[in-house]
Amino acid sequence: MNQMVKDEVQQNGDDQPLTVGQPLSEFLMQLEDYTPTIPDAVTAHYLNTAGFEPKDPRLLRLISIAAQKFISDIANDALQHCKMRSSNSSSSHNNSKNSKGTKDRRYCLTMEDLTPALAEFGITVKKPQYFV
Amino acid sequence: MEKLEQTTSPHRKLLTAAVSSVLLSHGFDSSDWDVLETLTEMLQCFFCEIGQSSKNYCELSGRTEPLIADVILGFVEMGINFTQLSEFIKQHKLQVLPTLQPQQQPKQLNMLQAGTKQPLPSHIPQHLPSFPDPHSYIRTPTHKQPVIDYEAIREKCAIQKRDVEKALTKFLAKTSQTHNLFENDEFIFPLITCKTEFPPYLNALMPQDQIFDAEDLEYKTEEINPPPKKRVKTEKSETKTEGDGEEEVVEEPPEEIEDPNKVDENSSPVVDIDNPYLAATKLPNKS
Repeated sequence: MNQMVKDEVQQNGDDQPLTVGQPLSEFLMQLEDYTPTIPDAVTAHYLNTAGFEPKDPRLLRLISIAAQKFISDIANDALQHCKMRSSNSSSSHNNSKNSKGTKDRRYCLTMEDLTPALAEFGITVKKPQYFV
Repeated sequence: MEKLEQTTSPHRKLLTAAVSSVLLSHGFDSSDWDVLETLTEMLQCFFCEIGQSSKNYCELSGRTEPLIADVILGFVEMGINFTQLSEFIKQHKLQVLPTLQPQQQPKQLNMLQAGTKQPLPSHIPQHLPSFPDPHSYIRTPTHKQPVIDYEAIREKCAIQKRDVEKALTKFLAKTSQTHNLFENDEFIFPLITCKTEFPPYLNALMPQDQIFDAEDLEYKTEEINPPPKKRVKTEKSETKTEGDGEEEVVEEPPEEIEDPNKVDENSSPVVDIDNPYLAATKLPNKS
């Protein structure tokens, strides 16, 4: 992550000082137009449990959008995994039957797809499939 | 997938709904319950983590109100790429959750309010809860204070006793046998008939308090019951002699036979069976 930030800073050029926050502060202005999915009250509740109470409500929206992007990236990766699986299984079965059709229309997100997606983010999930 | 619903807070439910909407927007039609729970937990941890780290950075620099720089440092520490947030917004149309911010429950209107609540006295601060409805602690009696001095009660007692005696004598005079003082008018001054028995001390010597039902007695006073029946039937036979000639002779013996039979029927179960639960059932008296 730090490497990515450094790349971003270097792209800005030498004439601009090292302010990574500048695009974000501009972004804050745009934030008022977009309403995140997670309501502000929920975000505020969880941030308050950590002791974080911003005076500026746009900070709440920034954090909730960041969280949404986080989940969205994971979901995207999981979707890729799911599609790979379905394409592998359909290609193997296509020779024998044509029952599955061209694509598996209904995608169900399971732990099998989520685990490798999370592993790429550095989160290892090991959940037992049954409880003894 | 049905599972036992633990008591989840409404915030957590909304987080799950947000995760679900994100998954839906990506094209997933369904997901496992474990997956949803995992992602919700991750989201909750994300908020707590970013909040903690931002607060720590803020306090580290000697401030109490967090700024965007603190948030940025928090993102950097967590490894979240925030540079592409604007593109993310423009790419994905953020679907606002249909449920708005959690609403507070409507204040329960006190529909059953009786009377106005009294204001707090001056020595109690205003931020403390107000008094409840006055009916809950103010007692108003529902009836007048009854008279409790000795003379009035004694007088009331005497009056009640006299009224009771009067009413009872009137009742008995109207229902039972009366003895009239005046021959002309029967209702002018009725007296309750005094029934004399011979000998007069017999009732005192024979204790009657242990006898609950005269029919259940083992010994029967046959003299009392049969004679009225015989008298009635002899009257009937006398009336019938006017109409029928020779049939009365035939009727009388069966009537006479019937009476001892009836008496025997009444006495035989009493003699044989001692237990009232085993005795034959008796119809109630029609008189």
